[in-house]
Amino acid sequence: MSIKVNSKACYGCRSCELACSFHHQKLFSPELSSIKVLTSMRTGNIKWSIDSTCDSCEGEEQPLCVKYCLYGALKEVA
Amino acid sequence: MNTNKISGGLAGKILRIDLSKNQISTEDTEKYARRLIGGRAINSLILLNEMNPKAKWSDPENMLIFGVGCLAGTLAPGACRVSIDTKNAFNNGKGSANFGGHFGPELKYAGFDHVVITGKAKTPIYLWIHDGEAEIKDASAIWGKTTSETERLLQEELGDDRIRVASIGPSGENLVRGSAIIGDCGKAAGGSGVGCVMGDKKLKALAVRGHGAIKIAQPEKFFEAVDTALEKVKASPTLKAFRNGLVDSVFGPESTRWDGFAITRNGQDDYWPVEKREKLTGKKIGVAKYRKHLVACFGCPAGCMPFFEIDDGEYKGTKGIGYWVNSAWYAVRMDVDDTAASLKFQLLANELGLDGDMATVALSWAFECYEKGLITKEDTDGLELTWGNADAMIKMAKKLAYREGIGDLLADGVKEASQKLGKGSEAFAIHMKGQDSVDAYRVFKGWGFGLSTSPVAGRHLRGSVSSPSGMGPKKGLEWSTYEYENIPDVVFWQARTKEIEDMTGICNYVGTWAGTRALEVSDYAALISSAMGIEITEEELMLLARQSINLEKAFNTIHTDFERKDDYPPRRYMEEPVKSGPCAGAKCDKDKWDEMLDRYYELQGWDKETGWQTGKCLTELGMDDVADRLQKVGKLK
Repeated sequence: MSIKVNSKACYGCRSCELACSFHHQKLFSPELSSIKVLTSMRTGNIKWSIDSTCDSCEGEEQPLCVKYCLYGALKEVA
Repeated sequence: MNTNKISGGLAGKILRIDLSKNQISTEDTEKYARRLIGGRAINSLILLNEMNPKAKWSDPENMLIFGVGCLAGTLAPGACRVSIDTKNAFNNGKGSANFGGHFGPELKYAGFDHVVITGKAKTPIYLWIHDGEAEIKDASAIWGKTTSETERLLQEELGDDRIRVASIGPSGENLVRGSAIIGDCGKAAGGSGVGCVMGDKKLKALAVRGHGAIKIAQPEKFFEAVDTALEKVKASPTLKAFRNGLVDSVFGPESTRWDGFAITRNGQDDYWPVEKREKLTGKKIGVAKYRKHLVACFGCPAGCMPFFEIDDGEYKGTKGIGYWVNSAWYAVRMDVDDTAASLKFQLLANELGLDGDMATVALSWAFECYEKGLITKEDTDGLELTWGNADAMIKMAKKLAYREGIGDLLADGVKEASQKLGKGSEAFAIHMKGQDSVDAYRVFKGWGFGLSTSPVAGRHLRGSVSSPSGMGPKKGLEWSTYEYENIPDVVFWQARTKEIEDMTGICNYVGTWAGTRALEVSDYAALISSAMGIEITEEELMLLARQSINLEKAFNTIHTDFERKDDYPPRRYMEEPVKSGPCAGAKCDKDKWDEMLDRYYELQGWDKETGWQTGKCLTELGMDDVADRLQKVGKLK
């Protein structure tokens, strides 16, 4: 299973980073997140990356980034 | 309330920087947070305790304090905001401004809840704040640059495109009073001349980057509170409108909101024809046609920030975030119905670091002076300041930001400008407590009353309410948009909930005021208690909010001569009724205002005759230290 980003739906709020870091370390920190979102207000660009530390939130009912994506921009795919 | 041991939510440290002495130090946030939780309330306490009342805004002693909300950087919905507090550059009273974006959470990940800046640098500098450290660095290469150029150059110089920047533009550098501090290139902390104070300190920018983390004291309870809050956001009937674009969805041409908010020709009237409105907020021909997409502030489920690019005509190539309801007000105030020019003006203001609210008041005063023949083309370098002249509006914005020609007169605000020009121009210099005031007072009674009683001089984010369908308590108080009845009670409620929001950093667009109007005080109590590991109830939070209000009130009383007399609307709105449209005849009635002030002071526990605080009120709130300060200057009842 992996996480897929729908770029058109994302507003760049970065809630996914927090949900992810909490899954890994029980802390809120974008640096501890497997998913990285770079939201630039200057250019309007939003960039994403998901690194190899993503385990699709093993042990959770659904990946927390998907659960807490406020815009429906993330989904889990096989 | 048990705040004895705070074990989450905060970054933990307050950064103190003295620019005159080149000194940097830190202290723990906790001792302040135990009393006032976070955000603006803590900024206000530091200012009241440490600012010399005899010092002016431009003296080195003036403090410029950035305070991030106690929930910012967590998953609490919309918790991202920063309060910036200082001595107001217009009136030497309490100054306060606020922005969202991504700067605040980044500052907390860098280890700091607050940054307290005093003194003045000799040459332009910027602050580089990263992972528990701060450096004062040379800003000669970025002095004079626009705010977006400043961000770009700092990210390049420091080699990290995740750095967040709050900066001033040329306007703040040139000590234009109405200057904002711009975060993320378009999130403007406006009001109180905070950008002017920053420029006076020769502080161009704060660049922040943090790799740290925020701990949560009681994770299970916190996530329960987050889930409850998010369900309310999702159920909000206005959420979709916000995500589709604020201006055209919420402030469409046919909306009755126009009749209460749209002041035209410097307040000569509160009505603007629908065909003109269409050009600003119509879905097809309004500014929305230049909107490329929307962007959200950190952790925000509302997602209201539009990113624009003008792709045709004279202003082709202009781009950036930010065109809100206020932005439409600017064009209306100047009677400009040119779609692209209206957008250009807003984005230019962000680049120059001009506070759009203040700039528009100054410009519209100048245009009315021109209309009345008090100034001529000889005074304006040939510009014709006629209503609706978009080109003149934009050129005048630049003159203002650089203090060029007549811009120099306007740069100190309309109160001082009108005193210098004379010729009766004081009568239409629209200010509140000496600070330029862009808002409408005459039609929406709760809006006007919130403005007139705001501790930061005519700003609407301290209790102003427009209509019961979108603001104020959801139950328990009957009130109407156009009537005076119960308005003080509603404003008193909204002023307190706004204080709580500014302690937490939660944006009012997901909170109790406007927007999605989703979260409630009970949500704040649950989120704060579980994040910080303290026990605080809804009722206790409302009392803390009163403490926060009383800190600002005391600052004004001690640092200025503000009294009851200063809580009435600008003269024009008391004397001249609205001339046309469905609300023709509306004005601010003096007798009604007297009644409302009596009731409001009663609710606050303040003296009705002077408007000062009372010993009884402050003792009840546990603020004897504040009472002592007022007693010493003979201003406690």
